[in-house]
Amino acid sequence: MSTTTLRRRENPSGRIILGRSVLYAVLVVIAVIYIFPFLIDVATSFKTESDAAADPLSLVPATITTAAYEKLFLNSDFPIWFKNSAIVTIVVTLGRVFFDSLAGYALARLHFRGRNAVFAGLIAVMSVPNVVLLIPKFLVINQLGIYDSYAGMIIPLLTDAAGIFIMKNFFESIPQSVEEQARIDGAGTFRVFWSVVLPMARPALITIIILSFQGSWNELSHFIISTQSPDLTTLTKGVASLASGQLSQGTQYPLKLAAAAIMTIPVAIVFFVFQRRITNSSDGSVKE
Amino acid sequence: MTTIPRQPRLSERRRASGIRRGEAASGWLFTAPMLVLLGLFLVVPVLMALWVSFSDWSGRGSPFAGSVGFVGFDNYSALLSGGGLAEQDFGTALKNNAWYVVLVVPLQTAVALFLAVMVNRQILKGRGFFRTAFYFPSVTSSVAITVLWLFLFNSTGAVNKLLSFVGVTGPNWFNDPAGIFHFGATTGPAFLENSTALGIPLWDWLGGPSVAMSAFVLLAIFTTSGTFMLLFIAALQNLNSEVFEAAEMDGASGWQRFWRVTLPQLRPTLFTVLTLGLIGCWQVFDQIYTGTKGAPGKTTLTPAYLSYQAAFQDQQWGQGAAIAFLLFVIIVLFTLLQRWVLSEKKVSNRRLRAYRLPETEGSVVAPTGSLRKDDRS
Amino acid sequence: MQRRTSRWLIAGALAASGALALTGCGSGFSSGGGDDSGALTSSNKALTVLIGSSGDAETAAVKSAVADWSSSSGTKASVSAASDLAQQLAQGFSSGKPADVFYLSTDALAGFASNGSLLAYGDKLSNKGDFYPSLVKSFTYDNKFYCAPKDFSTLALEINTDMWKAAGLTDADVPTTWDQLESVAKKLTTADHVGLGIGGEYARVGAFMTQAGGNLMNADSTKATADSKANVTALDYVKKLENDGTLKFAKDLGAGWGGEAFGKGLAAMTIEGNWITGGLQADYPDLKYTIAPLPKGPAGAGTLQFTNCWGIAADSPNQKAALKLVEKLTSADDQLAFSKAFGPMPSIQSAASDWKKANPTLVPFLDAADYAKGVPTAKGAADVVTDFNSKIESLATSDPKTILESAQKNLEALVK
Repeated sequence: MSTTTLRRRENPSGRIILGRSVLYAVLVVIAVIYIFPFLIDVATSFKTESDAAADPLSLVPATITTAAYEKLFLNSDFPIWFKNSAIVTIVVTLGRVFFDSLAGYALARLHFRGRNAVFAGLIAVMSVPNVVLLIPKFLVINQLGIYDSYAGMIIPLLTDAAGIFIMKNFFESIPQSVEEQARIDGAGTFRVFWSVVLPMARPALITIIILSFQGSWNELSHFIISTQSPDLTTLTKGVASLASGQLSQGTQYPLKLAAAAIMTIPVAIVFFVFQRRITNSSDGSVKE
Repeated sequence: MTTIPRQPRLSERRRASGIRRGEAASGWLFTAPMLVLLGLFLVVPVLMALWVSFSDWSGRGSPFAGSVGFVGFDNYSALLSGGGLAEQDFGTALKNNAWYVVLVVPLQTAVALFLAVMVNRQILKGRGFFRTAFYFPSVTSSVAITVLWLFLFNSTGAVNKLLSFVGVTGPNWFNDPAGIFHFGATTGPAFLENSTALGIPLWDWLGGPSVAMSAFVLLAIFTTSGTFMLLFIAALQNLNSEVFEAAEMDGASGWQRFWRVTLPQLRPTLFTVLTLGLIGCWQVFDQIYTGTKGAPGKTTLTPAYLSYQAAFQDQQWGQGAAIAFLLFVIIVLFTLLQRWVLSEKKVSNRRLRAYRLPETEGSVVAPTGSLRKDDRS
Repeated sequence: MQRRTSRWLIAGALAASGALALTGCGSGFSSGGGDDSGALTSSNKALTVLIGSSGDAETAAVKSAVADWSSSSGTKASVSAASDLAQQLAQGFSSGKPADVFYLSTDALAGFASNGSLLAYGDKLSNKGDFYPSLVKSFTYDNKFYCAPKDFSTLALEINTDMWKAAGLTDADVPTTWDQLESVAKKLTTADHVGLGIGGEYARVGAFMTQAGGNLMNADSTKATADSKANVTALDYVKKLENDGTLKFAKDLGAGWGGEAFGKGLAAMTIEGNWITGGLQADYPDLKYTIAPLPKGPAGAGTLQFTNCWGIAADSPNQKAALKLVEKLTSADDQLAFSKAFGPMPSIQSAASDWKKANPTLVPFLDAADYAKGVPTAKGAADVVTDFNSKIESLATSDPKTILESAQKNLEALVK
């Protein structure tokens, strides 16, 4: 929506300034609505319980206390949850980067019988809603004997159809000349993939990294069905159990909000570091 | 696939013989992990669930053991016409989720589009900041946001405090099972109370989401409008500016430009956003599991949560699987419905005549969908 | 042509991998049902104990009792508190890896017993004659005594003594009839706190139903009695108090349960069971309160009784050790220690007098055992009760008859 060529460059008239101020005002109000809850989250985690109940809107605690954080880190299983989430997220992200790019490359560049059928199957599989898989994934994980183990938590998440789609689209968009050159120079398929094509795929790989990190860090239902022992609880499952609370523990909002705040930090960091990548429209993110 | 004009015949022959053979094997090898993983954890489970939904498996032993019987459509009929608690719970869950979808999908699409148009203005400074602010809630975990929401929407929480500043006493959000379209009425007209669908009185069906569910509706809009805003921004940036200039020259106002020129061109993105929204909303689970687990008064019960509850808590695996498949059918139906509603309809002959130039009979000027003078978008 | 064959190839590959997965490794699932001949399994494996704790006090008490047994018997055992006991039990049973010993409620017994998840070890207990007969009945399914009752509680009336005195009430005013309860609640309702704050569920409102002579089901849980006039009378009474503003449900006060409303001073009286003592001690230690028996209704005295047992899994690899652990945990010493820590009453008759001596203020709870009624135990009754609870939440604006009729319909479907 450009306003150049045909319009005369006007000095901003009063009406235009008013229009622009209204625009800014509206956006600022909405931005505040979007940001304020998180500020309340952090602020309340430093309040005492009675302060949190009495004064829920204020961003400044009456007395700053780290009691919630102490209880979280010293008196609960929170560190274990964090560790489990970290392990699963890192392994799943690495796995997805590797397997999704392998499959995406094969579907984009390698000719083999049945390639179209595999791709059609991929699309079909993408359309199955998650809810249908809740019960049966549990049954399959059980049958395979990986229930209640890291394997059960990680293996089913190691590849996802959306990621393969993204990689395939990306590989199709890069010119074939470099690969042809490498082939003619005698490189095998894997070598072409690994040393020639993959380094060129950095933008798409970063997208996969971001999506995988976010997806596995924030995953809940898969961990509910694949584990039962307290040692394997992840952050999502643990904080969810905190939220539902137990009989005589009262409401303990500062504690719960502290947990929520901490579990948001890693994704927030990844988000801010890569945000140009995410919000940039030209990197082949899911735009179907 | 573009072929590079660099000794084409030679490379073709090469590909046909030596390299090509290696390719097929590599192709299968490369896709093997994907095939195994997706097959094992997507395809097989679906088939297994289908079998369980037609069986009376009680939860112990393998579902394929000899003792597990085939019960045909018993599980499905218990849910759709059984007359007992199963049917009522399924009806309640459907009603709750249907209202959730009806409210969330249009609202989040509208909010996302609005934000995208606002943020996309070239005269805006600090676009990056606004984009980040609106997108940030989307990266957080639904568990964390639900915990935050439970605090904010507490009966003495931040939201009610804000409402009290404008003189409104806010409800006890997450504990209020009253339907918002009942406007406080506790019983409805007799004919609505007595006729039921799936065991739930029509009066309840028309009551809208409960106050508690409305809090979840707000949560959904808060967390997903950012993602869809990005999709809309990407689409907006790809639009051809000449069409807008032409419209401006024709005297179209800002609003008309948006409604008649921008929006029709966003149709593919709109379709994507609506589809993703529908699919996501019909499966809402995480927030219910973390927050209210179906309470108050079963008004935040959703089919996804009901399926989980039936199987993992009540050990009714057949019924849980049946609920999941019924939900699958519903999602597919809604997606198809939405696709039909949004499809490009052919311009009728009558309309075409309005655009025909008088000299040249039979030539059509206007393209479908844009720059129409009549009220049709 | 090429495409079709390749499509079949894909289908074949997937089907093959599917078949392999399904038939080949059946290791995940247990082969269903244990050894029926009565022999218990035994191994060196550590025992896992899963409890549904009411708070830190209970978890600590169970952990220490189990640790004592562990050191004296030489078998390792670990205790974990469930965040959702029903779900974790169900998931454990279907995965074939359940906890060895666990809390089992009367609701859950029928379901798990009928699908073979439980070991019926009741007759093997060395102290089986010592349990209260009504408790044994609660845990008998299909004529088999399944599990040892671990404790029990009854409902009684808890009164905040400071608020009581401030309203000008004395010991003589402790309500013994419904009318007296109504007037006392009115006197105790002020702008800051409501007279009576209870949980909005069958597990509390049901006490009134028993006082009117009714209950959701009969004593054996073989017949549904939800739509009886007595129940309607009881719910009408509760509804009246709610509409008068002298009774409020905990959720409406912003509390998670009656005990929290009571502890926070939002209600002057509440109706709760033995567990409230542990909860109040932990979270609201400064609160002064007394315990009185519930008032008599039109049909006399009535209250509800709640009990759980120690379940042993049929799939447990070390049932012998589990049995020994349960015998210790239900011994008089352990039960009295548990009672001291978090309140419930011992399930064995031999500990009754010691308990009364140690807890003179809590005697109303134990005395109520004479007339207490149990909750429905038919398979699937828990879901009906949950549905009933969801309707009770809006009792103030609903018709008790309709609520009870729908509960009757649902219960009848269970015992057909």
